[in-house]
Amino acid sequence: MTQVLDRERIAEWSTQEPQRPWTKKPVHLQVWIALAALLPAVVVALMFTYTDLPGPVLMVVVYLPLQLVASGFAALATKGRQGVADSVIIVNAIGATLFSFIILFSVLGSLIVRGFEALWGEDGFRSSFLVQNNVYINPSTPLEYGGLGHAVLGTLIIVAIASLIAVPIGIATAIYITEVRGRAVPYVRFFVQAMSGVPSIVAGLFILTVLIVSGAIGQSAFAGGLAYAILMLPTVARTAEEVLRLIPEDLRTGALALGSTRARVVLRVVIPAAKTGIITAIILGVARVIGETAPLLLTSLKSDQTVLNPFSDPIAALPTYIFDNVALPYPGAVTRAWGAALVLMVIVLILFTIARILGRDRLNKSR
Amino acid sequence: MPRTEVRRDLKSAATSHKGDRIFNRSITTAAFTALVVLAGIAIFLGFSAIEALRTQGLDFLFTTEWSVEQEDPKAGIWGMLYGSVLLSVIGLVIAIPASLLLSVFIVFLAPRRLAKVMTNVIDLMAAIPSVILGLWAFYLLNPPAEEWQFLLNKYLGWIPIFQNESGNFNGTPFIAGFVLAIMMIPIITSVSREVLGRTPPDLINAAEALGCSLWTMLRYVALPYGRGGIVGGIMLGLGRALGETIAIFFVLKLIFETNWYNIIESGGGSVATLIVATFGEVSGPYELNLLLAAGFFLFVGTLIVNVIANLIVQRTGRMQR
Repeated sequence: MTQVLDRERIAEWSTQEPQRPWTKKPVHLQVWIALAALLPAVVVALMFTYTDLPGPVLMVVVYLPLQLVASGFAALATKGRQGVADSVIIVNAIGATLFSFIILFSVLGSLIVRGFEALWGEDGFRSSFLVQNNVYINPSTPLEYGGLGHAVLGTLIIVAIASLIAVPIGIATAIYITEVRGRAVPYVRFFVQAMSGVPSIVAGLFILTVLIVSGAIGQSAFAGGLAYAILMLPTVARTAEEVLRLIPEDLRTGALALGSTRARVVLRVVIPAAKTGIITAIILGVARVIGETAPLLLTSLKSDQTVLNPFSDPIAALPTYIFDNVALPYPGAVTRAWGAALVLMVIVLILFTIARILGRDRLNKSR
Repeated sequence: MPRTEVRRDLKSAATSHKGDRIFNRSITTAAFTALVVLAGIAIFLGFSAIEALRTQGLDFLFTTEWSVEQEDPKAGIWGMLYGSVLLSVIGLVIAIPASLLLSVFIVFLAPRRLAKVMTNVIDLMAAIPSVILGLWAFYLLNPPAEEWQFLLNKYLGWIPIFQNESGNFNGTPFIAGFVLAIMMIPIITSVSREVLGRTPPDLINAAEALGCSLWTMLRYVALPYGRGGIVGGIMLGLGRALGETIAIFFVLKLIFETNWYNIIESGGGSVATLIVATFGEVSGPYELNLLLAAGFFLFVGTLIVNVIANLIVQRTGRMQR
């Protein structure tokens, strides 16, 4: 179909205002948009006051569909038919965003509120809760006595053992992939990836059957640390690999040209250059494992005492402390569990923040 | 001035140095730890699995029973295996649309600042230890969720999956799946956010110049471009969900029957949770062996899912994290 261009129509087009979607909408469209934003909210607010349906149900069953229809109409009025699909996506995307915010703040908020019940009494801040152990404590003992000091110490010991094992091996794996570059690189990467998918309970079962059932060692911090090391190794190896990749090739060739051996290039040039990144890798590895509960339930059991010997006795750790206290049918014990959860979450948050800050520095430097 | 001639054959110098050889050898040895551990898990747990299959026959995989302390012990983990899959499917049904919408919001809709905040919020969600999520779900999610399920049953009870005959809405597969969804959302979102963010800007600009709306641009440009990565991310999330233990232990009532599809009926199964729940009161070496065997099948399942996920993600050329 051909269109005949007559001068009149060209003149008509040239006087037509271009559609500028970013400018203000005309008044009647603004009314539509305001209606679309207000109406569903008003309806749901009315239903919330006059029916006994719970809030989240109203949001999903009434508000979301209403809002979809309303913004669909508003989009139809302002942008035409194409706008309808867009409005559906936008409304749902905002819904999903709110959902994730609500979940996160609900978790953190409940931790703070319930956790402070354990940490904060009439007598002010209970530092005793952070340092004392659980000997002489039964589930109905008041919260002034006893605490999770032994569990914090146990977690530190177990994580330290895991780090001593997993960090050198993880970094060596990364060096093999980026520096030694042997023939097996694709296979090594494949195995590390496969290992990162091992469920934590399976890592615990493995240590249990190889070392504990066979009688080599007892259920102890060392066994727990080995199970943690299995989970930690892939995280350290993958992050360290990414970091080592960022080191410019010039540094390596330069050092080689000055006559260093390959080993010295890695140990004296590449690793110092990637120092912050490697620290980030270690921190991410620690953050990955520190909250794992299932392997410890099988390998280090629990204890009410402060245990320092990592090879002989069962030992308490923060995650298992939470797990054991929740199972007890006493409100005091549950409050202790919340307190421990708050402490654990604060540790995770600190590690998370440090890793973020170090990671940002690294990115800035490499740019 | 006489010059001392120093000649080194660069090629051989790099490898023939003694220190280098030791270094290379020790690094290479350490690099194969991952293989050794994987093989170790497969062999040690595999022995238990063979033992279990020898004494229980294929019933171990295809029946649902756990009466180990009697004369003639019977054990079957079908309900648990099926339960793990059912919970993961419920989780995926919630997590996939939520994560895709989240990543679309972060990449294409949100202002730059908000997008940064959202990325941190998502990463923080991934960092919540599962024991804390379980604690939260048990005390804060469970009570309202029971009411949601009651309403779901009241109004949609004619749909088979929403049937509930016991009137007990505690410890249902639905709540456990919901918790799994919360754990999967950060994983799927971070992968699909990266993939969508790497859509070539030229393609997006071209699509917009051709008059595409957001939906048509997503449908014909961004989603086809990132499809591989998104599928890989979903599989990674699935791998995590299958192996999840503690959070489910808090919210699911473990029963030794197969709950086929009544997702808001109290009781369900999960292999990983079976191991933790039974280990505390394990009656002897034989029952422990059965648990190890269950662990073996869990290991094999997650390994397969993860390998497929990594192959897909790798093929789409994503840098691994």
